[in-house]
Amino acid sequence: MTETVTNLWSIPLLLIIPILTAIVVNFLYGKVKAIRVVAILSSLALFAIAVISPYGYHWFTGQPAVLLNGGYTYSVQIFAWRLSLELYFGYMQQIMIAVMSLLLIFVVAISTKVMSKNMGTYIGLIFLIYMSSAAIIMVNDFYHLWIAVEIGSLLVAGLVAASGESISQKAALKYTFFSAISGAGLAIALALILGITGYPNVSDAIVSMHINNIQGMQGILYVAFGFLVLSWIYAGGLAPIHPLKSDVYGASFPHATVMLQTQSKLMLVAIGLIILRVFGTLPFAKEVMLGISVITMMVGVVMALLQTDFRWTLAYLIISHSGLVTVGISLGTISGIIGGMFQAINDVLYMSILLLCCEAIYYYGKGTSIKSVSGMAKKAPWLAFAAVVGAFAASGIPPFNGFQSEIILIQASLASGLPEVAVVILMVSVTTFIALFKSIYCIFLKADSTPETEQAQSRQGSIPVPKVLYLSLGVLIVLVVLIGVYPQLATDFLNDAAIKVVSMPWVP
Amino acid sequence: MGSIDSLYDKVKRYLLGFNRGKAYSSSMSGYMSGELQTLVFIMVLAAFFRLFTIPLGIVLVIGVVAAFLYFTPIIVAMERENSSDLNRVLFWVVIYFAVIMAITLWGL
Amino acid sequence: MIELTLQLLSFIAAGLLVVIGLGGMLFLDNLIKKIIAFTLLSDGVNLALVSLGYVEGGIVPILEPGSSYLNFPNEAALIFGPGIVLTNIVIGVSTTAILIALTMVLYRRYGTLKASKVLKGERK
Repeated sequence: MTETVTNLWSIPLLLIIPILTAIVVNFLYGKVKAIRVVAILSSLALFAIAVISPYGYHWFTGQPAVLLNGGYTYSVQIFAWRLSLELYFGYMQQIMIAVMSLLLIFVVAISTKVMSKNMGTYIGLIFLIYMSSAAIIMVNDFYHLWIAVEIGSLLVAGLVAASGESISQKAALKYTFFSAISGAGLAIALALILGITGYPNVSDAIVSMHINNIQGMQGILYVAFGFLVLSWIYAGGLAPIHPLKSDVYGASFPHATVMLQTQSKLMLVAIGLIILRVFGTLPFAKEVMLGISVITMMVGVVMALLQTDFRWTLAYLIISHSGLVTVGISLGTISGIIGGMFQAINDVLYMSILLLCCEAIYYYGKGTSIKSVSGMAKKAPWLAFAAVVGAFAASGIPPFNGFQSEIILIQASLASGLPEVAVVILMVSVTTFIALFKSIYCIFLKADSTPETEQAQSRQGSIPVPKVLYLSLGVLIVLVVLIGVYPQLATDFLNDAAIKVVSMPWVP
Repeated sequence: MGSIDSLYDKVKRYLLGFNRGKAYSSSMSGYMSGELQTLVFIMVLAAFFRLFTIPLGIVLVIGVVAAFLYFTPIIVAMERENSSDLNRVLFWVVIYFAVIMAITLWGL
Repeated sequence: MIELTLQLLSFIAAGLLVVIGLGGMLFLDNLIKKIIAFTLLSDGVNLALVSLGYVEGGIVPILEPGSSYLNFPNEAALIFGPGIVLTNIVIGVSTTAILIALTMVLYRRYGTLKASKVLKGERK
């Protein structure tokens, strides 16, 4: 597909359709079947748009770009000041939004089956989270970046609080307090970059910084960098915000966590790439990002080992694997960035398998604690199989997709002269295996009946597992194997973005 | 009269002293693995300092092992510091950003 | 000259508001006081953004009939800052609404507004 210039038709649709769907399903309060039909049709439409859309830009301000000689042009092939708020849809955006749209179909299908109370509002929140994630992955200006992060954080709080438990509401309140701080910080970063360069457009700001001598402003750039890193940490749940984010993942319904973790990974990639493009040449910038990523990886996986509830194990593993994504981006090399983005896609897929398995375990009425559930393999052998596949993929075992992205990350860190990072990645991989198989053994394979399991078994009976959940698991398992065997299905989409970030950072 | 301890008995008593209780729980394997992982991770972090000078990296790795033998078990402290208490999280955010500011603005 | 002094004073005021707001959010134990501190923080950021747009000897950033196109970019005050502030106000309102709603729900459950009691870490 050749790149078109401004006013690409698909970019506004990817943002407007979720908003309209959220409004419509809210009006259809109480009409369960109508909500289900509207929601599934919208998510199918979004998937189709993501797959068939050509590549190009959308310039919100509508006017042409200004050439250096004062003339005007709509062509993006010629260098000119964009002077506009810009969204860009390219190869990387296509694969990320397509994967997110596929997951949206599954999440919407499952949640419309199992949620009865406030379904319209709940589905509306899910669609708005999709919209904020799509906006942030396409963004090429600081203004939209800030808005998408702010909207996304409020929606996350809403979706978590919708689970109704006390722990969910506490998690939502803590997360919103922190969003207040990081949102203000991001606005200050926006103000500082606007003050130094005069341009809200990322490409224009980068060119302005390269053309003008801003050596004396380096301190201000570092402050702006610090605030952007704060919002990056907050959006992705990196250390030290990881306890709040793990509460968010663990306290919401597992199918909602699928969308939440997808949003986090996309935000990590989008904000990380913008930080790299704008501040990549600042001394110590990449080192700071790398340090945060390495600490997140290990703290997340060690905390996952300590958990006795499958939901919370997965919550901390999502945090740890977010660190894996950002390690690749922080390395700042082409292979590192490809590895980081590829890890984000793979991570989203195999974590969704594990989260949907967790959701299914929940329906059997005994909770997800390893103390109260056992012997599930007899009742649900296909679920056990799916959980094992998800665990193998998460641990980076071939022929699953996790292996392909982790090997790229290890090779990138060795090529950068950082074997310690490769060691940490391997440790995370092995520890993920230990943490997941501890839970899978206890839940599925252990046959012992302790007083706790007998007490749990005498509780309320199970809810039927929706067939669409098994269908979703099947599709995700096929994808996980396919990408594991043919990684170029994904990496072909990511090469272009990685090369641009390293060699032409002013090009989105 | 007292018994004469061999070196083996002294080492065994020292290691058994780490055992804080008699109960078994489903968290036991997780805590033990986590303790080992944390130690190795802190050693790897210390080894990162070889990027400045190699002797510094070696000294820090040895220092970490020595500190670990004195302060063990650290997994309990690790779990406590990673709790989601808002005040504790905000404390660590302030520490992180103080370190980041010190590193990035050093020399400006 | 007086405009430059006023701009400096408004940046100082914005800085003070941000610091007081941030300090309140970090150190105060009452949830409602934390929310009020957030409002101060947000107002400080808004003031900084608006003050950023000052241009010495500048004109109102509206193209009037008959005015010169060539000098407009150099003379007009930066309008982007106040544009961001409008959005920030909306976001601040939404965030405050969510904070207050969740505080109310948790107050009903716990009977206290102390953040150290309500928001302490959960044992999972």
